[in-house]
Amino acid sequence: MSLRDNAIVAYAETKVMEKSDRDVFVLGGEILEELLDKTGIEKSEIDGLVLAGLTGTGAANPFWAQTTADVLGLDVGFCEQVHTGGCSAAGCVVRAAAAIDYGLCDVAFLLFADTHVLEDKTDHSHSYRREWTDPYGLMGPPGAFGLLSRAYEAKYGLDYRMLGKIAVTQRNHALLNENACEKLRVPITVDDYLNSRVIADPIRLLDCVMRADGAAGLIMMSRKRAKQKGLTKCIIPIGYAERTNFKGGENLVDVTKSGHAVCGKKALGEAGLSIKDIASFHPYDDFIIAIMLQFEAFGFCKAGEGVSFIREHDFSFNGDLPLNTGGGQISAGQAACSSHNLIEAVRQLRSEAGKRQVKNTKNALVTGIGWINYGRNWGSSAALVLVPE
Amino acid sequence: MANPNKSLNDTLGVKRAIRHFDFSEPYWEGTKQKKLLIQYCKKTGKYQHFPRPVSIFTGRRRDIEWREVSGKGVVFSYTIAGRGTPAFRGIEPYAVVSVTLDVGVNFIANIVNCPAADLKVGMKVRPYWHPVGDGTHLLMFQPDRDAA
Repeated sequence: MSLRDNAIVAYAETKVMEKSDRDVFVLGGEILEELLDKTGIEKSEIDGLVLAGLTGTGAANPFWAQTTADVLGLDVGFCEQVHTGGCSAAGCVVRAAAAIDYGLCDVAFLLFADTHVLEDKTDHSHSYRREWTDPYGLMGPPGAFGLLSRAYEAKYGLDYRMLGKIAVTQRNHALLNENACEKLRVPITVDDYLNSRVIADPIRLLDCVMRADGAAGLIMMSRKRAKQKGLTKCIIPIGYAERTNFKGGENLVDVTKSGHAVCGKKALGEAGLSIKDIASFHPYDDFIIAIMLQFEAFGFCKAGEGVSFIREHDFSFNGDLPLNTGGGQISAGQAACSSHNLIEAVRQLRSEAGKRQVKNTKNALVTGIGWINYGRNWGSSAALVLVPE
Repeated sequence: MANPNKSLNDTLGVKRAIRHFDFSEPYWEGTKQKKLLIQYCKKTGKYQHFPRPVSIFTGRRRDIEWREVSGKGVVFSYTIAGRGTPAFRGIEPYAVVSVTLDVGVNFIANIVNCPAADLKVGMKVRPYWHPVGDGTHLLMFQPDRDAA
């Protein structure tokens, strides 16, 4: 048994909302219902529940996964919450696969539901922040990415218009995505990007994700079981790697390098693919520059050549390297435990993306970024390669 | 981009109540005498910041000692807050710098006595100690204009 013996057999997703008008448990119920309807399986067949740990609503409840199982009436042999921040969604896929391989469950329900705008219980106080960054007014992720961007700029130079090009491409994709947050479904130009309000110079408003509410989910089972059940259009995970606290045992590191370089090599190696084979790219996007850093880390281009890579490529859904075709989090809204780029990749590989459908559905590369460390880049990196059955 | 001709505000007027981890206490004790103590790993000969309960190089508590360092360094990176955190609202723009100390660790802090146009990556800086009110001082940096 291995990762690729498992299948994502269905996905579900709510529209992203600026602020939810219903409780997070209602959103979870909507996702469960949609997945049961889509697959024709009975609720009693679900014997695994895997939740993303990146939840503001559930953050203060140490029993969040059990509470969710109880609310939804699920009786499971595997109940898990995955705590790798923005890597959680991809991390849920591989942990569900491992649990299925090991025999802990047969049918896993992966739920990414969060209403962190409506109700946020996030507490960073037991971390370095309270002593080492809060006293200096460094504003969380935008402040950290301000430091990271400036360090990159000092090392390699940075043409912000090229970051603007990425922002515009993703925004155009959100215009084609009816599930994207309505507030963000407004066209923008590169000038709009450059002239947007400075948050933590050089980070501008249009560099940043906007927190939003919503939910998504997946059903996973072994390929064998999926076949027995006659489930078609399955999506197979064929390569995965994650890295937390990359170079955590060193004091001074090159902040322009992240754990993605090692994750990419490992995940692509397991998949038997080279980066040039990637048909569509769905990188974690909390800030626009994170996308450029991932072009470099995954080997689409060399270190320091991110700007010229952006200049030379078309990242539209019908371009030569389709990128975050649902708008990414930056233009769809940071909702549903940051699972939207994963859900969009699954949708694309099933050829169900409508007006923004990519032509090449041979594979998709989905990534994660999780947590912000002290003066570096980020705490967790992940890479997941998906292919259609 | 921030207007380079515009002056940066310092953050000296911000009220701060800093909760310390017990394993950082020697650092804060040192600041009472405006001494900068940084954790040093005896086994590897390397410094680490922020303070940890163990050496990040060896994983052992017993390898750690505190050493006084000069606090001199160069600006590794900086960001200028256009919108501050709640306690800092109303004093924007102000700068947060990451300084590489001469002992090889990065230290995030504010900078004082530094116009926006002067703030550059690679600029030499030295410590500026700001009293917090509880006897400890908060380390900030200022341009080291005498540095060779």
